[in-house]
Amino acid sequence: MTAPPTAPYPLPRKRPVSTASMLIVPSLIGALVALVLGIYGRVHSPTGIAINIAGFSSPGTVKSWLATGATAFAIVQVVSALVMYGKVPRVTAPSWIGGLHRWSGRIAFLLAVPVAIHCLYALGFQQYSTRVLLHSVFGCLFFGAFTVKMLILPKRDLPGWVLPVAGAVVFTVLVVIWLTSAYWFFSTFGIKR
Amino acid sequence: MKRNTPLITLLAGAALGVILLISSMLATPSSAPVSYSAAAASSAAPSSPAPAAPESSPASPAASASSSAAPSPEPTRTTPTRANYAGRVGGGGGSVAVSVHGDKAVAYVCNGSTVEGWMRGKVQNGKLVLTGKNKAHLTASYHAGKVTGDVEAHGTDYSFSVSTVNKSSGLYQATAKVQGKTIKAGWIVLGDGTQIGSLETDADSDQPNAVTAPKLDMATMTAQVGSLVLHAVPVSGVTGSGF
Repeated sequence: MTAPPTAPYPLPRKRPVSTASMLIVPSLIGALVALVLGIYGRVHSPTGIAINIAGFSSPGTVKSWLATGATAFAIVQVVSALVMYGKVPRVTAPSWIGGLHRWSGRIAFLLAVPVAIHCLYALGFQQYSTRVLLHSVFGCLFFGAFTVKMLILPKRDLPGWVLPVAGAVVFTVLVVIWLTSAYWFFSTFGIKR
Repeated sequence: MKRNTPLITLLAGAALGVILLISSMLATPSSAPVSYSAAAASSAAPSSPAPAAPESSPASPAASASSSAAPSPEPTRTTPTRANYAGRVGGGGGSVAVSVHGDKAVAYVCNGSTVEGWMRGKVQNGKLVLTGKNKAHLTASYHAGKVTGDVEAHGTDYSFSVSTVNKSSGLYQATAKVQGKTIKAGWIVLGDGTQIGSLETDADSDQPNAVTAPKLDMATMTAQVGSLVLHAVPVSGVTGSGF
């Protein structure tokens, strides 16, 4: 009776790879991303100026619209995720829902990047008011959280709650960023291009 | 292959970030263009392996290199190396703000209209010798709580003795590009909340002209010039912001 090491119980043998150990490396990388962004924003002297995008009246309006676009696509993210997980009553997930979810996420992320670069380069990590401090902290956290989400996405064998929780965190953080920037901007200066 | 798409998303975002950061660095009228372009060139290569790390590394060594390359100041015992001073000039016709950060100092004097000047320079033996465009210059001695000296801008001479400020009072600046010209606004906010500011309409010119700056909204840190919104940042020797 030679016992082959893997034959009888292939599934239990994989169990020792616990959820925590699968999450630790992505979480550390995400934390590092957030930390690096925050330190850069704090150490780098804000220039007050950065590359501008044509067609808008000021960097503030560009950023506000880009951030609003990112937030809109993030809402698509939440809705499509709910459909995928069958949480919307009487709606069965269509075949294209996964593609919609992936592409809306990619677009939202790519819209957010120029905004973050302008923030980091021109304005820096600031704390002269609660709004600004919250925005600085959550702005750094967002890219950390998004990195974690992207890194754990390809991992199989994760418990079912992990991805929804990660997605919810990313979405919530983005909404806080939007509320402390674009929403504030539009409600202070009016909605304009 | 399909499993790697989230990673590709991350790297695409990181690459976009690096490109924008380098473009911004190249577009910024900097007093040290050499170090900026050198940093941009060196950061272009290692952009792919780690998502965000290359974004931070190029700029900070460049900044620290330029500051450490400066002649190191002898340790000043009684004078703080990081402080902000602001107050009215003698006669009350304007305000002056001085921010000291290590061995560097930035000063701004302005009468809220056409007389104004930005000055930069080094701290030497507790003395400030700062110069700017339009032959603006400031000489002062500074101590724990006070800066005393003379400043001249646009041919107007002021003597002053101003104290340290804290929190929201002090010096603020904002710049923006409008039709290829850089406009630069400066505000001096005093402890009692009064502010005075001027705005250079072509800050890159050798003899910039100034007009009265729009009010700086301290709650939002913004000021509006026509349809343009200026975002102000503090020029603080304490935090190093604006240096």
